Amino acid sequence: MGVAAAVAPAVRRWLGQRRPLRCGAGLRGRWPLPAGGVSLRRCSTRVTLEGINKPVIDRIIRVDHAGEYGANRIYAGQMAVLGRSSAGPIIQQMWNQEKDHLKKFNELMVAYRVRPTVLLPFWNVAGFVLGAGTALLGKKGAMACTVAVEESISDHYNSQIRTLVEEDPEKYKELLQMIKQFRDDEREHHDIGLEHDAEAAPAYSVLKTAIQLGCKAAIFLSERI
Amino acid sequence: RHLTLLVSLLVVRCQLSPPQRPLQASAVLRRVSNEQKKEPLASSSQQQFSSHPTDHQPEQEPQGPRPSYTGQGGQESEDYESEEQLQLRILTAALEFVPEHGWTVEAIAEGAKTLGLSVAAAGMFHSDGSELILHFVSQCNTKLSELLEQEQKLVQLGEAEKKPTDQFLRDAVEARLRMLIPYIEKWPQALSILLLPHNIPSSLNLLTSMIDDIWHYAGDQSTDFNWYTRRAVLTGIYNTTELVMMQDSSPDFEDTWRFLENRVADAMNMGNTANQVQSTGEAVVQGLMGAAVTVSNAETSRAVRAELFLFLSMQNASMFFLPNLEDNMKKNCLS
Repeated sequence: MGVAAAVAPAVRRWLGQRRPLRCGAGLRGRWPLPAGGVSLRRCSTRVTLEGINKPVIDRIIRVDHAGEYGANRIYAGQMAVLGRSSAGPIIQQMWNQEKDHLKKFNELMVAYRVRPTVLLPFWNVAGFVLGAGTALLGKKGAMACTVAVEESISDHYNSQIRTLVEEDPEKYKELLQMIKQFRDDEREHHDIGLEHDAEAAPAYSVLKTAIQLGCKAAIFLSERI
Repeated sequence: RHLTLLVSLLVVRCQLSPPQRPLQASAVLRRVSNEQKKEPLASSSQQQFSSHPTDHQPEQEPQGPRPSYTGQGGQESEDYESEEQLQLRILTAALEFVPEHGWTVEAIAEGAKTLGLSVAAAGMFHSDGSELILHFVSQCNTKLSELLEQEQKLVQLGEAEKKPTDQFLRDAVEARLRMLIPYIEKWPQALSILLLPHNIPSSLNLLTSMIDDIWHYAGDQSTDFNWYTRRAVLTGIYNTTELVMMQDSSPDFEDTWRFLENRVADAMNMGNTANQVQSTGEAVVQGLMGAAVTVSNAETSRAVRAELFLFLSMQNASMFFLPNLEDNMKKNCLS
């Protein structure tokens, strides 16, 4: 029944889907591009896949998508516990930004024809449990979790920015811009967490180390599987 | 292996000196994207024959302009064909001999002959014909992609209607399977070769990229686990239809296309069934909870309570086995 529950909404959407295919060109660079060779148009379902380092971009988008998905679920878990407390509004605001990030990565994923990680259902549960679990430690616990996760993520984004810049900053300009923006958002969340007494949380350093280790493992797995 | 090759080459007047290493199937799959990148046959260090650039000239003659050499050894010109391109041409030429010889080195040798090369050129390839089959599959997949892209163009230009998903999938799988028709006699042999352990990575790769292509052009934009579910389902449909096609003797493979239609319809219905199971399951759980409440409120003896609970649970669980009552009644009225 659990399997059916997982499959049902998915297949339901499959049936109802009548998305028009927008924008034509350049799946394999066979159609003429407008002058300047724009890679991401107003309709992002198509992107020139010619000439990009597909394995590297694949990994980047896959792991970032998984990361935003996980962050989404963490905030959902936190809201489930602390939604009605004083920390509710601030967590909600951070959650909204993560939802926006996820949406952008969904679009990128379709545009670059990247496959999502198989572990998504697992990150779904694990993220929620992490968020709810730390929130049960209180508001400071939730903030500590936020600080740990956001620090991990911004370091990770930084290394991706380095990779892309080393490859070809011009070719990946829009992707770079997006990742830089998201990195700044995540840093902001990290700072908000610190402002709200994350460091006063019970067993802060242990909690932080454990969560960051988990993040590293998640990143490693999501890049590959 | 090298020794027998040496002997055969001494016996046959060779115009081409093949490299000694057996070529991996993956080499066939690598497409030379950059026309400027050339692998000079002459500079292969594994060659046992001293190869002069002049040796290659007769090979080039039937094909196109004579290449100009800037020097001996490693220098090559822009017209010089790479080894991979040559292999591709041989394999493409070999395809027409497959119905007669099967997917074997004989077919490759015949193909090499039509290009004016010696039959020993077939020594470049594996003895089981793997590269020929993989090349064919790759070619078919490329043709399918081009077809789907053409269709998409027409839809975008407004010259064609956008097909519903099940129709699209049916047509795409049918179009791809029809490419097997000229080789259908020997295809079972090919399938068994593709399942050999050393071929599985390549053949799996080709299969998954084809299925991904079909879904992409069908408009799939899923970014969650659906991505995998859909591809798995379509792979199942494709594989089973292919097997049915092997044994189909109806005119123009009608039975196969009907089978395909039913499988795609089943897949579409899977969604509905999953929904029904879920809602039935939820209803049953609620029923059981209600039963528990009833029983706990009943002021009777333990035995009677147990009996009551059992009865109520069975009544609820039987819902699982009853198909949707409304649909059933409708069907009965109509039939």
